Amino acid sequence: MSILYVLIPLALLLLAGAVWVFFWAVGSGQFDDLDTPAMRIVMDDDTKPDEEDKP
Amino acid sequence: MTDDKNHKTCFHCALPVPTGCELTVQIDEEQRPVCCPGCKAVAELIRDTGLTRYYDLRDAPEPGVGRPPEEAAEWRVFDSPEMLDAFTESHDNMREATIYVGGMYCSACSWLIETTLDKQPGIKSAEVNPITHRLRLRFPAEDASLSGYLATLTDLGYQPQPLSPESTVRPEVTEQRTALKRLLVASLGMMQVMMFAVGLYSMDFQGIDPDMQHFLRLVSFFVTTPVVFYAARPFFTSAWRGVVGRKPGMDLPVSIAVGSAYIASVYATFTRGEAVWFDSVTMFVFFLTLGRFLEMRARHRSIDRSAALSSLLPNTATRIDGEAHVVVPVSQLTRGDRVLIRAGEPIPADGILATGTTSIDEALLTGEARPQTKVVGDELSAGSINLDSMIEMSVTSTGSDTTLGTISRLSERARYARPAFVTLADKIASYIVVALLVVATGVATFWYFADPDRAFVITLSVLVVTCPCALALATPAAFAAAGSRLSQLRLLVTNGNAIEALSRATLAVFDKTGTLTMGMPRITAVFVTDNAWTEKDSRVIAAALEHASTHPLARAFAVPDDLPAVTSHDIVVGQGVSGMIDGREWRLGNAAFVGGAAAEDSTATHVFLGVDGNVVAWFELEDEVRPDAGQTLDTVRQLGIATALVSGDNRVAVESVAAQLAINDVHYECTPEDKLAIIEAAQKRGETVVMIGDGINDAPVLAGADTSIAPAHGALLAQTSADIIMLGDSLSPLTTAVEMSRKTMRIVRQNLAWAIVYNALALPLAAAGYVPPWAAAIGMSASSLIVVLNALRLNRFE
Repeated sequence: MSILYVLIPLALLLLAGAVWVFFWAVGSGQFDDLDTPAMRIVMDDDTKPDEEDKP
Repeated sequence: MTDDKNHKTCFHCALPVPTGCELTVQIDEEQRPVCCPGCKAVAELIRDTGLTRYYDLRDAPEPGVGRPPEEAAEWRVFDSPEMLDAFTESHDNMREATIYVGGMYCSACSWLIETTLDKQPGIKSAEVNPITHRLRLRFPAEDASLSGYLATLTDLGYQPQPLSPESTVRPEVTEQRTALKRLLVASLGMMQVMMFAVGLYSMDFQGIDPDMQHFLRLVSFFVTTPVVFYAARPFFTSAWRGVVGRKPGMDLPVSIAVGSAYIASVYATFTRGEAVWFDSVTMFVFFLTLGRFLEMRARHRSIDRSAALSSLLPNTATRIDGEAHVVVPVSQLTRGDRVLIRAGEPIPADGILATGTTSIDEALLTGEARPQTKVVGDELSAGSINLDSMIEMSVTSTGSDTTLGTISRLSERARYARPAFVTLADKIASYIVVALLVVATGVATFWYFADPDRAFVITLSVLVVTCPCALALATPAAFAAAGSRLSQLRLLVTNGNAIEALSRATLAVFDKTGTLTMGMPRITAVFVTDNAWTEKDSRVIAAALEHASTHPLARAFAVPDDLPAVTSHDIVVGQGVSGMIDGREWRLGNAAFVGGAAAEDSTATHVFLGVDGNVVAWFELEDEVRPDAGQTLDTVRQLGIATALVSGDNRVAVESVAAQLAINDVHYECTPEDKLAIIEAAQKRGETVVMIGDGINDAPVLAGADTSIAPAHGALLAQTSADIIMLGDSLSPLTTAVEMSRKTMRIVRQNLAWAIVYNALALPLAAAGYVPPWAAAIGMSASSLIVVLNALRLNRFE
């Protein structure tokens, strides 16, 4: 069981890292729009009448 | 309901299709009706770029939103270097512009805008924030074509408005970011601590290795600390504010529970005491933070009307500098400037009419559809529309100092005030807090003398098990669920108390114009007096004459046929329009202008059409009762709510509407003071009054009623004093609102009853020492979960 004394602090370090990354992502505005991305996954497969995109 | 033959709605903008309009657009292999060539063009553009999925995925549009303006806006001024500098920021050869996009209302809109703009040559990135309705565009500095991008947005049916670069992030964005961070800390913290708690509890049963127990408690302590000090901080600050202001709210017991359980757990951790409650603390904080987060999202989602207000002002104004006319951004206007305003243009600032006579459409500010005639010296308000002729105005105030700016500030303030969702619970809370503290002190004192070793543990069990979170969540959870369901049903709740008052309503008072009626006259009859012409001829000629007119009555005449060309077109203020068609002079207007006899006494408006001085036909225009008004009022009466009609209009008009809708309690020719007096008299009789009205003159009445509902197409001031805003162009959501409010209050009562029964049962058991701390934690969490799940049943309301 003594392995827990290593594994749990390690898990907490990972947790701290995850929180730090999330805070950075929120601060950079990635979570400002919580609605559109949910739609985009449905919409991007859309049929295009002509396949010309921007160069 | 609106799909029958007489009331087709436009596929693109959801406005009713004018009678006789045959325009259609083929989308998904079906011919869809549209209301005007503008909507047809937008729908075709969306189809031809392959984005028809937009129509499947968007929310139901507010009628009229997305309808393109009749005239293309002049964007080219934005390509001049000075304007580019004023409206964009440059970073390493790229320019960045922030554009407010008027007319977008759901996430499908932001997808449509981003996808279309991404296909434009030169655009590096286009990002739309659906909360703030702001578009950030990055494009290369050399071949900047800001005007082209703005024109694209206009083509899609939106009203773009370039904003000066903003140095600060919008407050709602900051608020959402902070709330997200707190929610994440609370949820991750809860999950971790739960994991350790499982270990601790199972060790309780299987025998404990004391070192491991101590270690797991220490780890839980490390994880819980940020949850308490970061995620739960808003509860502590708000509780402290309540204490300082001597108005203890629900946040106070919440803070005491979180704070005392945390401190006791820390104490137990370091003294190797009996039990810790870190799991209860984090779970409690997580549920409360989640509730607050959902409530905040609902608040942000209620359409950003204040920002929409600023988009009613034009971007540019024509300033008169001596002899020269200079197009300048509206932001550069100052007091004393003279500006030129052409017919059909909006007034850019508040000012005094300097030269010319014209009529002004002030519907935006006052809700009054009839144009107001203005002469030299009259005041003009920013945002109203100059209808008839070219005028010069001298500017008195600009920007946020204008009347429009003041309304905008008022509504902004109202939006940031926290909705008074919790007053009922708050009232109870003050007593509960005191009662809880008294009971806990009593229990502690008793056990201190009876069994000092167990006193602390039992007192804590009492505090945790009676933790009023079920009570704290009972009302806000139900109101939040009701608010989000109602917004899906096209009703925006701006004041949570409205739901409570609406559920008790006994009398519904309606305004007439624009609420029970369409608020816009339609042609109800055509009388042809000269046999040389048919009814169709006269309609087409009238439409041709009115085509260029911005007069509100003109829209009633619109027909979709090919219109004959009109030359030497002329508008005579307050009289009518004239023009040459096929070499003959036609006139459309009042009797005197056309040369006919004035109409006899009637509720309807009469408009005459004449050629070369002889009357050919006359049209009867009337403000029709809404198609769904009769059924809605019947349902309202079946729900046990009496109906009354209160209007400023004359007796004949009011009684005719009342008769059609079977309303017996009728008041006519009322001033706003009269209306308020009628409502106050009803309230004195013990009635709970819900007022439904849309005009600016209704604003004080809306504020005076127990609950007020305003349709979204009415005056903005009415909407700022209304508790509930009905989106869409129909009355039927009213009955939904009443039924929903009753269901919500039923759920609130169930929740409160459950919370009280639970506490009444748990408290004696805990005080007697029969509830171990872990059972207290489970009981507390389970009781709040039941309350939340019960509230979520409201989401299934049809």
